[in-house]
Amino acid sequence: MKTAAINDRNSGIASLRSLVSPRAWKGVLGLLGILALWQTSIPLIGVSEYFYPSPAAVARAAIHLVKTGILPAYIGDSLGRYLAGVSIGVTLGILFGLLIGFSAGASRMLSPIINFFFAIVEVAWIPLFVLWWGYGLKVILVALSYIVFFPVLYNTILGVRSVPQVLINAAYSLGATRLQLIQEVILPAALPSIFTGLRLGAGFAFRGLIFSEMIAAKSGVGYLIFEGASNQQTDRTIVGMIVMGLLWLFIERIYIRPLEALTVDRWGLATRAEDRE
Amino acid sequence: MSAKTKISVVDLRMEYVDENRGIRHIATDGLTLDVKENEFLCVVGPSGCGKSTLLSAIAGFLKPRGGTVSMDGRPILEPGADRGVVFQEYALLPWKTVLENVGLGLKLRGVAKAERDAVAMRFLDITNLTHAAEKYPHELSGGMKQRAAVARTLANKPEVMLMDEPFAAVDAQTRLTLQEELVRIWDENRLTVLFITHSVEEAVFLGDRIIVLTPGPGKVRAVVDVPIPRDQRHWATINANPQFVAIRDRTLALVRGLEAA
Ligand SMILES: Nc1ncnc2c1ncn2[C@@H]1O[C@H](COP(=O)(O)OP(=O)(O)OP(=O)(O)O)[C@@H](O)[C@H]1O
Ligand SMILES: [Mg+2]
Repeated sequence: MKTAAINDRNSGIASLRSLVSPRAWKGVLGLLGILALWQTSIPLIGVSEYFYPSPAAVARAAIHLVKTGILPAYIGDSLGRYLAGVSIGVTLGILFGLLIGFSAGASRMLSPIINFFFAIVEVAWIPLFVLWWGYGLKVILVALSYIVFFPVLYNTILGVRSVPQVLINAAYSLGATRLQLIQEVILPAALPSIFTGLRLGAGFAFRGLIFSEMIAAKSGVGYLIFEGASNQQTDRTIVGMIVMGLLWLFIERIYIRPLEALTVDRWGLATRAEDRE
Repeated sequence: MSAKTKISVVDLRMEYVDENRGIRHIATDGLTLDVKENEFLCVVGPSGCGKSTLLSAIAGFLKPRGGTVSMDGRPILEPGADRGVVFQEYALLPWKTVLENVGLGLKLRGVAKAERDAVAMRFLDITNLTHAAEKYPHELSGGMKQRAAVARTLANKPEVMLMDEPFAAVDAQTRLTLQEELVRIWDENRLTVLFITHSVEEAVFLGDRIIVLTPGPGKVRAVVDVPIPRDQRHWATINANPQFVAIRDRTLALVRGLEAA
Protein backbone atom coordinates (compact mmCIF):
# COMPACT_ATOMS: atom_id res chain seq x y z
CA MET A 1 0.00 0.00 0.00
CA LYS A 2 2.62 2.42 1.10
CA THR A 3 4.89 1.65 -1.83
CA ALA A 4 1.97 2.07 -4.16
CA ALA A 5 1.27 5.50 -2.72
CA ILE A 6 4.88 6.52 -3.15
CA ASN A 7 4.88 5.23 -6.66
CA ASP A 8 1.77 7.22 -7.33
CA ARG A 9 3.33 10.34 -6.03
CA ASN A 10 6.47 9.70 -7.99
CA SER A 11 4.59 9.17 -11.17
CA GLY A 12 2.62 12.32 -10.43
CA ILE A 13 5.84 14.25 -10.16
CA ALA A 14 7.19 12.48 -13.18
CA SER A 15 4.23 13.51 -15.30
CA LEU A 16 4.49 17.06 -14.01
CA ARG A 17 8.17 16.96 -14.85
CA SER A 18 7.56 15.68 -18.29
CA LEU A 19 5.14 18.57 -18.77
CA VAL A 20 7.92 21.07 -18.09
CA SER A 21 11.39 19.85 -18.96
CA PRO A 22 13.88 19.44 -16.08
CA ARG A 23 15.96 22.32 -17.39
CA ALA A 24 12.94 24.61 -17.44
CA TRP A 25 12.26 23.55 -13.86
CA LYS A 26 15.60 24.86 -12.78
CA GLY A 27 14.79 28.12 -14.52
CA VAL A 28 11.46 28.38 -12.67
CA LEU A 29 13.20 27.71 -9.34
CA GLY A 30 15.61 30.55 -10.04
CA LEU A 31 12.74 32.90 -10.77
CA LEU A 32 10.91 31.92 -7.57
CA GLY A 33 14.09 32.63 -5.64
CA ILE A 34 14.30 36.12 -7.05
CA LEU A 35 10.63 36.75 -6.21
CA ALA A 36 11.19 35.63 -2.61
CA LEU A 37 14.24 37.88 -2.28
CA TRP A 38 12.26 40.77 -3.69
CA GLN A 39 9.33 40.30 -1.30
CA THR A 40 11.53 39.94 1.81
CA SER A 41 13.59 42.99 0.86
CA ILE A 42 10.54 45.31 0.92
CA PRO A 43 10.35 45.78 4.73
CA LEU A 44 14.14 45.82 4.96
CA ILE A 45 14.52 48.71 2.56
CA GLY A 46 11.38 50.44 3.80
CA VAL A 47 10.78 53.06 1.11
CA SER A 48 7.38 53.98 -0.29
CA GLU A 49 5.51 51.75 -2.75
CA TYR A 50 6.08 54.36 -5.42
CA PHE A 51 9.83 53.95 -5.35
CA TYR A 52 9.91 50.23 -4.77
CA PRO A 53 6.65 48.39 -5.46
CA SER A 54 6.06 44.96 -3.98
CA PRO A 55 5.50 41.82 -6.03
CA ALA A 56 1.87 41.90 -4.94
CA ALA A 57 1.40 45.44 -6.25
CA VAL A 58 3.07 44.49 -9.47
CA ALA A 59 0.85 41.42 -9.80
CA ARG A 60 -2.24 43.58 -9.24
CA ALA A 61 -1.09 46.02 -11.90
CA ALA A 62 -0.40 43.15 -14.27
CA ILE A 63 -3.86 41.67 -13.73
CA HIS A 64 -5.44 45.04 -14.29
CA LEU A 65 -3.46 45.59 -17.48
CA VAL A 66 -4.44 42.18 -18.77
CA LYS A 67 -8.13 42.60 -17.88
CA THR A 68 -8.38 45.95 -19.62
CA GLY A 69 -6.74 44.41 -22.66
CA ILE A 70 -3.94 46.96 -22.59
CA LEU A 71 -1.11 44.52 -21.99
CA PRO A 72 -2.08 41.98 -24.66
CA ALA A 73 -2.45 44.79 -27.19
CA TYR A 74 0.90 46.28 -26.22
CA ILE A 75 2.63 42.92 -26.42
CA GLY A 76 1.08 42.35 -29.83
CA ASP A 77 2.29 45.75 -31.01
CA SER A 78 5.80 45.24 -29.70
CA LEU A 79 6.10 41.76 -31.11
CA GLY A 80 4.80 42.85 -34.51
CA ARG A 81 7.19 45.80 -34.71
CA TYR A 82 10.04 43.64 -33.57
CA LEU A 83 9.47 40.88 -36.09
CA ALA A 84 8.92 43.31 -38.95
CA GLY A 85 11.99 45.38 -38.12
CA VAL A 86 14.23 42.38 -37.61
CA SER A 87 13.01 40.74 -40.83
CA ILE A 88 13.81 43.83 -42.86
CA GLY A 89 17.23 44.19 -41.23
CA VAL A 90 18.10 40.51 -41.64
CA THR A 91 17.06 40.48 -45.29
CA LEU A 92 19.09 43.56 -46.11
CA GLY A 93 22.03 42.33 -44.06
CA ILE A 94 22.12 38.99 -45.88
CA LEU A 95 21.71 40.59 -49.31
CA PHE A 96 24.48 43.11 -48.84
CA GLY A 97 26.60 40.52 -47.05
CA LEU A 98 26.37 38.18 -50.06
CA LEU A 99 27.15 41.01 -52.43
CA ILE A 100 30.17 42.27 -50.49
CA GLY A 101 31.41 38.82 -49.57
CA PHE A 102 31.17 37.63 -53.13
CA SER A 103 32.34 40.56 -55.20
CA ALA A 104 35.61 42.34 -54.55
CA GLY A 105 34.33 45.36 -56.50
CA ALA A 106 31.22 45.72 -54.39
CA SER A 107 33.34 45.28 -51.30
CA ARG A 108 35.69 48.11 -52.24
CA MET A 109 32.78 50.37 -53.11
CA LEU A 110 30.46 49.67 -50.18
CA SER A 111 32.69 48.75 -47.26
CA PRO A 112 33.88 52.28 -46.35
CA ILE A 113 30.34 53.70 -46.40
CA ILE A 114 28.97 50.82 -44.37
CA ASN A 115 31.78 51.01 -41.82
CA PHE A 116 31.12 54.73 -41.49
CA PHE A 117 27.44 54.21 -40.73
CA PHE A 118 28.22 51.33 -38.42
CA ALA A 119 30.01 53.78 -36.16
CA ILE A 120 26.92 55.98 -35.84
CA VAL A 121 24.84 54.20 -33.21
CA GLU A 122 21.11 54.02 -33.80
CA VAL A 123 20.42 56.10 -30.70
CA ALA A 124 21.94 59.04 -32.53
CA TRP A 125 19.54 58.59 -35.41
CA ILE A 126 16.27 58.21 -33.54
CA PRO A 127 15.72 61.91 -32.66
CA LEU A 128 16.44 62.78 -36.28
CA PHE A 129 14.06 60.08 -37.54
CA VAL A 130 11.33 61.43 -35.24
CA LEU A 131 11.93 64.88 -36.65
CA TRP A 132 11.59 63.59 -40.20
CA TRP A 133 8.73 61.13 -39.84
CA GLY A 134 7.07 61.98 -36.52
CA TYR A 135 6.26 59.38 -33.91
CA GLY A 136 5.21 55.97 -35.10
CA LEU A 137 5.91 52.73 -36.81
CA LYS A 138 8.30 54.02 -39.46
CA VAL A 139 10.84 55.31 -36.96
CA ILE A 140 10.78 52.06 -35.01
CA LEU A 141 11.09 49.86 -38.08
CA VAL A 142 13.97 51.85 -39.50
CA ALA A 143 15.73 51.90 -36.14
CA LEU A 144 15.32 48.14 -35.64
CA SER A 145 16.44 47.17 -39.11
CA TYR A 146 19.38 49.54 -38.76
CA ILE A 147 20.41 47.76 -35.56
CA VAL A 148 20.04 44.25 -36.96
CA PHE A 149 21.62 45.08 -40.29
CA PHE A 150 25.22 45.43 -39.15
CA PRO A 151 25.84 42.24 -37.19
CA VAL A 152 24.01 40.21 -39.84
CA LEU A 153 25.96 41.92 -42.60
CA TYR A 154 29.40 41.46 -41.03
CA ASN A 155 28.75 37.85 -40.13
CA THR A 156 27.33 37.08 -43.56
CA ILE A 157 30.45 38.51 -45.17
CA LEU A 158 32.59 36.42 -42.87
CA GLY A 159 30.51 33.35 -43.64
CA VAL A 160 30.66 33.85 -47.39
CA ARG A 161 34.41 34.42 -47.35
CA SER A 162 35.07 31.31 -45.35
CA VAL A 163 33.21 28.88 -47.60
CA PRO A 164 35.79 26.22 -48.54
CA GLN A 165 36.90 26.77 -52.12
CA VAL A 166 36.63 23.06 -52.85
CA LEU A 167 32.86 23.15 -52.24
CA ILE A 168 32.52 26.05 -54.66
CA ASN A 169 34.59 24.15 -57.22
CA ALA A 170 32.49 21.04 -56.70
CA ALA A 171 29.26 22.92 -57.37
CA TYR A 172 30.62 24.57 -60.50
CA SER A 173 31.83 21.20 -61.81
CA LEU A 174 28.37 19.81 -61.31
CA GLY A 175 27.07 22.60 -63.51
CA ALA A 176 25.96 25.26 -61.03
CA THR A 177 25.30 28.78 -62.23
CA ARG A 178 26.30 31.68 -59.99
CA LEU A 179 22.80 31.95 -58.61
CA GLN A 180 22.62 28.21 -57.96
CA LEU A 181 25.99 28.38 -56.28
CA ILE A 182 24.66 30.98 -53.86
CA GLN A 183 21.52 28.95 -53.25
CA GLU A 184 23.08 25.53 -52.84
CA VAL A 185 26.50 26.34 -51.38
CA ILE A 186 27.18 29.89 -50.25
CA LEU A 187 23.99 30.50 -48.29
CA PRO A 188 23.88 27.18 -46.45
CA ALA A 189 27.61 27.34 -45.74
CA ALA A 190 27.29 30.87 -44.41
CA LEU A 191 24.18 30.03 -42.39
CA PRO A 192 25.94 29.32 -39.08
CA SER A 193 27.66 32.71 -39.38
CA ILE A 194 24.44 34.39 -40.38
CA PHE A 195 22.79 32.92 -37.31
CA THR A 196 25.53 34.28 -35.11
CA GLY A 197 24.83 37.68 -36.61
CA LEU A 198 21.10 37.21 -36.19
CA ARG A 199 21.49 36.22 -32.54
CA LEU A 200 23.60 39.27 -31.82
CA GLY A 201 21.35 41.53 -33.82
CA ALA A 202 18.17 40.08 -32.34
CA GLY A 203 19.34 40.91 -28.82
CA PHE A 204 20.48 44.42 -29.73
CA ALA A 205 17.27 45.00 -31.65
CA PHE A 206 15.17 43.95 -28.71
CA ARG A 207 16.79 46.62 -26.56
CA GLY A 208 16.41 49.00 -29.46
CA LEU A 209 12.73 48.19 -29.68
CA ILE A 210 12.09 49.08 -26.06
CA PHE A 211 14.15 52.21 -26.40
CA SER A 212 12.48 53.45 -29.55
CA GLU A 213 9.05 52.66 -28.12
CA MET A 214 9.87 54.88 -25.19
CA ILE A 215 10.61 57.73 -27.52
CA ALA A 216 8.55 57.21 -30.61
CA ALA A 217 5.45 55.18 -29.75
CA LYS A 218 2.13 55.47 -27.98
CA SER A 219 1.82 51.75 -27.33
CA GLY A 220 4.02 48.74 -26.74
CA VAL A 221 6.08 47.40 -23.88
CA GLY A 222 8.65 50.21 -24.06
CA TYR A 223 5.87 52.77 -23.89
CA LEU A 224 4.37 50.97 -20.87
CA ILE A 225 7.69 51.14 -19.03
CA PHE A 226 8.21 54.80 -19.86
CA GLU A 227 4.62 55.90 -19.21
CA GLY A 228 4.48 54.04 -15.91
CA ALA A 229 7.55 55.80 -14.60
CA SER A 230 6.46 59.26 -15.71
CA ASN A 231 2.92 58.80 -14.29
CA GLN A 232 4.12 57.56 -10.91
CA GLN A 233 2.87 54.07 -11.67
CA THR A 234 6.12 52.23 -11.04
CA ASP A 235 4.23 48.97 -10.63
CA ARG A 236 3.32 49.26 -14.30
CA THR A 237 6.90 49.99 -15.18
CA ILE A 238 7.96 46.83 -13.45
CA VAL A 239 5.24 44.86 -15.21
CA GLY A 240 6.68 46.23 -18.43
CA MET A 241 10.19 45.21 -17.46
CA ILE A 242 9.12 41.71 -16.54
CA VAL A 243 7.15 41.38 -19.76
CA MET A 244 10.21 42.58 -21.61
CA GLY A 245 12.27 39.77 -20.14
CA LEU A 246 9.59 37.17 -20.76
CA LEU A 247 9.06 38.39 -24.30
CA TRP A 248 12.73 37.93 -25.02
CA LEU A 249 12.68 34.41 -23.60
CA PHE A 250 9.67 33.73 -25.81
CA ILE A 251 11.32 35.12 -28.93
CA GLU A 252 14.47 33.16 -28.27
CA ARG A 253 12.59 29.95 -27.72
CA ILE A 254 10.00 30.27 -30.46
CA TYR A 255 12.01 31.83 -33.26
CA ILE A 256 15.72 31.56 -32.82
CA ARG A 257 16.45 28.19 -31.26
CA PRO A 258 14.17 26.15 -33.54
CA LEU A 259 15.73 27.78 -36.59
CA GLU A 260 19.14 26.74 -35.40
CA ALA A 261 18.02 23.25 -34.54
CA LEU A 262 16.54 22.90 -38.01
CA THR A 263 19.72 23.70 -39.84
CA VAL A 264 23.03 24.01 -38.12
CA ASP A 265 22.62 21.24 -35.56
CA ARG A 266 21.51 18.70 -38.07
CA TRP A 267 24.58 19.08 -40.26
CA GLY A 268 26.86 18.42 -37.34
CA LEU A 269 28.48 21.82 -37.76
CA ALA A 270 27.80 22.99 -34.22
CA THR A 271 27.48 21.37 -30.84
CA ARG A 272 25.00 22.87 -28.45
CA ALA A 273 26.18 23.44 -24.92
CA GLU A 274 23.51 21.07 -23.62
CA ASP A 275 24.87 18.18 -25.65
CA ARG A 276 28.17 18.47 -23.90
CA GLU A 277 26.72 18.35 -20.41
CA MET B 1 40.42 2.90 -79.24
CA SER B 2 39.86 6.07 -81.19
CA ALA B 3 42.94 8.25 -81.39
CA LYS B 4 41.00 11.51 -81.25
CA THR B 5 42.36 13.86 -78.61
CA LYS B 6 39.84 14.82 -75.96
CA ILE B 7 41.97 16.93 -73.69
CA SER B 8 45.22 18.50 -74.65
CA VAL B 9 47.69 19.97 -72.16
CA VAL B 10 50.58 21.78 -73.80
CA ASP B 11 53.62 23.15 -72.02
CA LEU B 12 51.58 23.82 -68.91
CA ARG B 13 53.06 26.07 -66.24
CA MET B 14 51.10 26.43 -63.02
CA GLU B 15 52.13 28.71 -60.19
CA TYR B 16 50.82 29.46 -56.74
CA VAL B 17 51.51 33.07 -55.87
CA ASP B 18 51.20 34.41 -52.37
CA GLU B 19 51.22 38.15 -52.95
CA ASN B 20 51.26 39.05 -49.26
CA ARG B 21 54.42 37.14 -48.57
CA GLY B 22 55.87 37.57 -52.05
CA ILE B 23 56.23 33.83 -52.50
CA ARG B 24 55.84 32.13 -55.84
CA HIS B 25 55.67 28.36 -56.04
CA ILE B 26 55.97 26.61 -59.38
CA ALA B 27 53.76 23.51 -59.25
CA THR B 28 54.17 22.30 -62.85
CA ASP B 29 56.35 23.51 -65.68
CA GLY B 30 56.54 22.38 -69.26
CA LEU B 31 53.93 19.69 -68.70
CA THR B 32 52.56 18.27 -71.91
CA LEU B 33 50.09 15.42 -72.26
CA ASP B 34 47.02 14.32 -74.19
CA VAL B 35 44.00 12.48 -72.99
CA LYS B 36 42.38 10.64 -75.86
CA GLU B 37 38.70 10.28 -76.29
CA ASN B 38 37.30 7.36 -74.28
CA GLU B 39 40.72 6.74 -72.80
CA PHE B 40 41.39 5.70 -69.23
CA LEU B 41 44.52 7.65 -68.39
CA CYS B 42 46.26 7.25 -65.06
CA VAL B 43 48.67 9.75 -63.56
CA VAL B 44 51.21 8.71 -60.95
CA GLY B 45 53.98 10.66 -59.32
CA PRO B 46 55.40 11.56 -55.94
CA SER B 47 53.44 13.58 -53.45
CA GLY B 48 53.56 17.28 -54.19
CA CYS B 49 54.57 16.87 -57.82
CA GLY B 50 51.55 18.75 -59.10
CA LYS B 51 48.97 16.06 -59.86
CA SER B 52 46.08 17.84 -58.17
CA THR B 53 47.21 21.10 -59.71
CA LEU B 54 47.11 19.55 -63.17
CA LEU B 55 43.59 18.35 -62.43
CA SER B 56 42.56 21.84 -61.28
CA ALA B 57 43.81 23.29 -64.54
CA ILE B 58 41.82 20.79 -66.61
CA ALA B 59 38.75 21.25 -64.43
CA GLY B 60 39.03 25.01 -64.96
CA PHE B 61 39.53 25.97 -61.32
CA LEU B 62 42.95 27.48 -61.86
CA LYS B 63 44.26 29.45 -64.83
CA PRO B 64 47.53 28.42 -66.45
CA ARG B 65 50.46 30.83 -66.06
CA GLY B 66 51.84 29.47 -69.25
CA GLY B 67 50.90 26.98 -71.94
CA THR B 68 47.39 25.87 -72.83
CA VAL B 69 44.73 23.45 -71.67
CA SER B 70 41.99 22.62 -74.11
CA MET B 71 39.13 20.20 -74.59
CA ASP B 72 37.86 19.24 -78.03
CA GLY B 73 40.16 21.91 -79.39
CA ARG B 74 38.66 24.74 -77.35
CA PRO B 75 40.57 26.34 -74.49
CA ILE B 76 39.26 25.54 -71.03
CA LEU B 77 38.25 28.78 -69.36
CA GLU B 78 36.02 27.74 -66.49
CA PRO B 79 34.60 24.70 -64.71
CA GLY B 80 31.66 22.91 -66.28
CA ALA B 81 29.46 19.85 -65.94
CA ASP B 82 31.18 18.27 -68.96
CA ARG B 83 34.18 17.63 -66.71
CA GLY B 84 33.13 15.84 -63.52
CA VAL B 85 35.57 15.96 -60.64
CA VAL B 86 36.09 13.57 -57.76
CA PHE B 87 38.06 15.59 -55.23
CA GLN B 88 40.86 14.27 -53.08
CA GLU B 89 39.01 15.88 -50.13
CA TYR B 90 35.56 14.54 -51.22
CA ALA B 91 33.88 17.99 -51.21
CA LEU B 92 30.46 16.72 -50.23
CA LEU B 93 28.04 19.42 -49.12
CA PRO B 94 27.61 18.94 -45.35
CA TRP B 95 24.03 20.26 -45.32
CA LYS B 96 22.78 17.74 -47.84
CA THR B 97 22.13 14.07 -47.29
CA VAL B 98 24.09 11.54 -49.29
CA LEU B 99 21.09 11.12 -51.58
CA GLU B 100 20.82 14.89 -52.12
CA ASN B 101 24.54 15.18 -52.71
CA VAL B 102 24.51 12.47 -55.33
CA GLY B 103 21.45 13.99 -57.02
CA LEU B 104 22.84 17.53 -56.93
CA GLY B 105 24.08 17.69 -60.50
CA LEU B 106 20.67 16.61 -61.76
CA LYS B 107 18.95 19.12 -59.50
CA LEU B 108 21.10 21.90 -60.95
CA ARG B 109 19.91 20.85 -64.38
CA GLY B 110 16.30 21.05 -63.28
CA VAL B 111 15.51 17.33 -63.11
CA ALA B 112 12.44 16.65 -60.93
CA LYS B 113 13.02 15.27 -57.46
CA ALA B 114 11.50 11.83 -57.98
CA GLU B 115 13.58 11.22 -61.07
CA ARG B 116 16.86 12.46 -59.63
CA ASP B 117 16.32 10.45 -56.45
CA ALA B 118 15.86 7.35 -58.57
CA VAL B 119 19.05 8.01 -60.51
CA ALA B 120 20.94 8.81 -57.32
CA MET B 121 19.73 5.58 -55.72
CA ARG B 122 21.05 3.63 -58.67
CA PHE B 123 24.52 5.08 -58.22
CA LEU B 124 24.35 4.60 -54.47
CA ASP B 125 23.60 0.98 -55.19
CA ILE B 126 26.66 0.71 -57.41
CA THR B 127 28.85 2.28 -54.75
CA ASN B 128 27.29 0.17 -52.00
CA LEU B 129 25.80 3.08 -50.13
CA THR B 130 22.06 2.47 -50.28
CA HIS B 131 21.91 2.13 -46.52
CA ALA B 132 23.48 5.57 -46.07
CA ALA B 133 21.21 7.47 -48.46
CA GLU B 134 19.58 9.55 -45.72
CA LYS B 135 22.75 10.21 -43.76
CA TYR B 136 24.65 13.46 -43.68
CA PRO B 137 28.33 13.48 -44.70
CA HIS B 138 29.57 13.98 -41.14
CA GLU B 139 27.94 10.66 -40.26
CA LEU B 140 29.99 8.75 -42.84
CA SER B 141 33.41 7.15 -42.62
CA GLY B 142 36.17 8.40 -44.88
CA GLY B 143 35.69 5.55 -47.32
CA MET B 144 31.94 6.10 -47.44
CA LYS B 145 32.43 9.79 -48.17
CA GLN B 146 34.76 8.90 -50.98
CA ARG B 147 32.26 6.48 -52.49
CA ALA B 148 29.52 9.10 -52.20
CA ALA B 149 31.76 11.58 -54.01
CA VAL B 150 32.35 9.07 -56.79
CA ALA B 151 28.62 8.36 -57.04
CA ARG B 152 27.87 12.08 -57.24
CA THR B 153 30.23 12.56 -60.16
CA LEU B 154 29.05 9.43 -61.97
CA ALA B 155 25.38 10.35 -61.57
CA ASN B 156 26.00 13.64 -63.33
CA LYS B 157 27.09 11.82 -66.52
CA PRO B 158 30.09 13.96 -67.44
CA GLU B 159 32.01 13.44 -70.67
CA VAL B 160 35.28 13.46 -68.76
CA MET B 161 35.88 12.22 -65.23
CA LEU B 162 38.75 13.82 -63.38
CA MET B 163 39.46 11.67 -60.36
CA ASP B 164 41.96 12.64 -57.67
CA GLU B 165 42.91 9.53 -55.69
CA PRO B 166 39.25 8.60 -55.44
CA PHE B 167 39.79 5.26 -53.71
CA ALA B 168 42.61 6.20 -51.35
CA ALA B 169 40.46 6.07 -48.21
CA VAL B 170 38.45 2.96 -49.15
CA ASP B 171 39.20 -0.41 -47.61
CA ALA B 172 41.03 -2.89 -49.81
CA GLN B 173 37.97 -5.06 -50.42
CA THR B 174 35.71 -2.17 -51.47
CA ARG B 175 38.49 -0.69 -53.54
CA LEU B 176 38.67 -3.77 -55.73
CA THR B 177 34.92 -3.72 -56.28
CA LEU B 178 34.91 -0.01 -57.04
CA GLN B 179 37.77 -0.31 -59.49
CA GLU B 180 35.96 -3.03 -61.41
CA GLU B 181 32.71 -1.06 -61.30
CA LEU B 182 34.47 2.07 -62.52
CA VAL B 183 35.93 0.21 -65.47
CA ARG B 184 32.50 -1.16 -66.30
CA ILE B 185 30.84 2.26 -66.13
CA TRP B 186 33.64 3.87 -68.06
CA ASP B 187 33.29 1.23 -70.77
CA GLU B 188 29.50 1.36 -70.95
CA ASN B 189 29.29 5.14 -71.08
CA ARG B 190 32.28 5.75 -73.29
CA LEU B 191 33.72 8.11 -70.71
CA THR B 192 37.11 9.69 -70.76
CA VAL B 193 38.87 9.30 -67.43
CA LEU B 194 41.88 11.02 -65.95
CA PHE B 195 42.71 9.10 -62.83
CA ILE B 196 45.27 10.25 -60.29
CA THR B 197 46.64 7.66 -57.92
CA HIS B 198 49.55 6.83 -55.68
CA SER B 199 49.22 3.15 -56.35
CA VAL B 200 51.12 1.84 -59.35
CA GLU B 201 49.17 -1.42 -59.19
CA GLU B 202 45.92 0.48 -59.39
CA ALA B 203 47.20 2.51 -62.33
CA VAL B 204 48.23 -0.59 -64.26
CA PHE B 205 44.97 -2.35 -63.46
CA LEU B 206 42.82 0.57 -64.59
CA GLY B 207 44.74 2.49 -67.19
CA ASP B 208 45.08 2.36 -70.95
CA ARG B 209 48.16 4.45 -70.41
CA ILE B 210 50.05 5.71 -67.39
CA ILE B 211 51.70 9.10 -67.16
CA VAL B 212 54.59 9.15 -64.69
CA LEU B 213 55.39 12.64 -63.44
CA THR B 214 58.70 13.94 -62.12
CA PRO B 215 58.94 15.46 -58.65
CA GLY B 216 57.71 19.06 -58.54
CA PRO B 217 57.63 21.15 -60.60
CA GLY B 218 55.95 18.27 -62.37
CA LYS B 219 56.53 17.34 -65.96
CA VAL B 220 56.10 14.05 -67.78
CA ARG B 221 58.89 11.61 -66.93
CA ALA B 222 57.48 8.68 -68.92
CA VAL B 223 54.37 7.40 -70.63
CA VAL B 224 53.65 3.72 -70.10
CA ASP B 225 51.25 1.86 -72.39
CA VAL B 226 49.12 -0.85 -70.82
CA PRO B 227 48.00 -3.11 -73.67
CA ILE B 228 46.38 -5.69 -71.41
CA PRO B 229 42.94 -6.59 -72.84
CA ARG B 230 40.05 -5.43 -70.70
CA ASP B 231 38.54 -8.90 -70.38
CA GLN B 232 41.70 -10.04 -68.64
CA ARG B 233 41.51 -7.38 -65.98
CA HIS B 234 40.05 -9.05 -62.92
CA TRP B 235 41.70 -8.84 -59.57
CA ALA B 236 41.25 -12.54 -59.01
CA THR B 237 43.56 -13.45 -61.88
CA ILE B 238 45.57 -10.42 -62.91
CA ASN B 239 48.48 -11.06 -60.57
CA ALA B 240 49.18 -14.22 -62.51
CA ASN B 241 49.33 -12.27 -65.75
CA PRO B 242 53.00 -11.85 -66.74
CA GLN B 243 52.24 -8.76 -68.81
CA PHE B 244 50.64 -7.10 -65.80
CA VAL B 245 53.56 -7.96 -63.59
CA ALA B 246 56.08 -6.69 -66.14
CA ILE B 247 54.34 -3.37 -66.67
CA ARG B 248 53.81 -2.91 -62.94
CA ASP B 249 57.47 -3.51 -62.17
CA ARG B 250 58.62 -1.22 -64.94
CA THR B 251 56.34 1.57 -63.78
CA LEU B 252 57.40 1.05 -60.19
CA ALA B 253 61.01 1.34 -61.26
CA LEU B 254 60.20 4.58 -63.09
CA VAL B 255 58.59 6.02 -59.99
CA ARG B 256 61.44 4.74 -57.78
CA GLY B 257 63.97 6.19 -60.18
CA LEU B 258 62.34 9.50 -59.45
CA GLU B 259 62.94 9.05 -55.77
CA ALA B 260 66.60 8.45 -56.37
CA ALA B 261 66.87 11.47 -58.66
N1 LIG C 1 46.92 26.50 -52.70
C1 LIG C 1 48.25 26.35 -52.78
N2 LIG C 1 49.07 27.38 -52.47
C2 LIG C 1 50.41 27.25 -52.56
N3 LIG C 1 51.03 26.13 -52.96
C3 LIG C 1 50.28 25.07 -53.28
C4 LIG C 1 48.85 25.12 -53.20
N4 LIG C 1 48.36 23.91 -53.57
C5 LIG C 1 49.44 23.16 -53.85
N5 LIG C 1 50.58 23.84 -53.69
C6 LIG C 1 51.94 23.35 -53.93
O1 LIG C 1 52.02 22.93 -55.27
C7 LIG C 1 52.70 21.70 -55.37
C8 LIG C 1 51.83 20.68 -56.06
O2 LIG C 1 50.70 20.42 -55.26
P1 LIG C 1 49.62 19.35 -55.66
O3 LIG C 1 48.52 19.43 -54.69
O4 LIG C 1 49.27 19.53 -57.08
O5 LIG C 1 50.43 18.00 -55.45
P2 LIG C 1 49.95 16.49 -55.66
O6 LIG C 1 50.84 15.90 -56.70
O7 LIG C 1 48.50 16.44 -55.88
O8 LIG C 1 50.33 15.86 -54.25
P3 LIG C 1 49.56 14.67 -53.46
O9 LIG C 1 49.93 13.41 -54.14
O10 LIG C 1 50.17 14.75 -52.10
O11 LIG C 1 48.12 14.96 -53.48
C9 LIG C 1 53.08 21.29 -53.96
O12 LIG C 1 54.44 21.58 -53.77
C10 LIG C 1 52.24 22.17 -53.07
O13 LIG C 1 52.98 22.56 -51.95
MG1 LIG D 1 46.90 15.81 -54.75
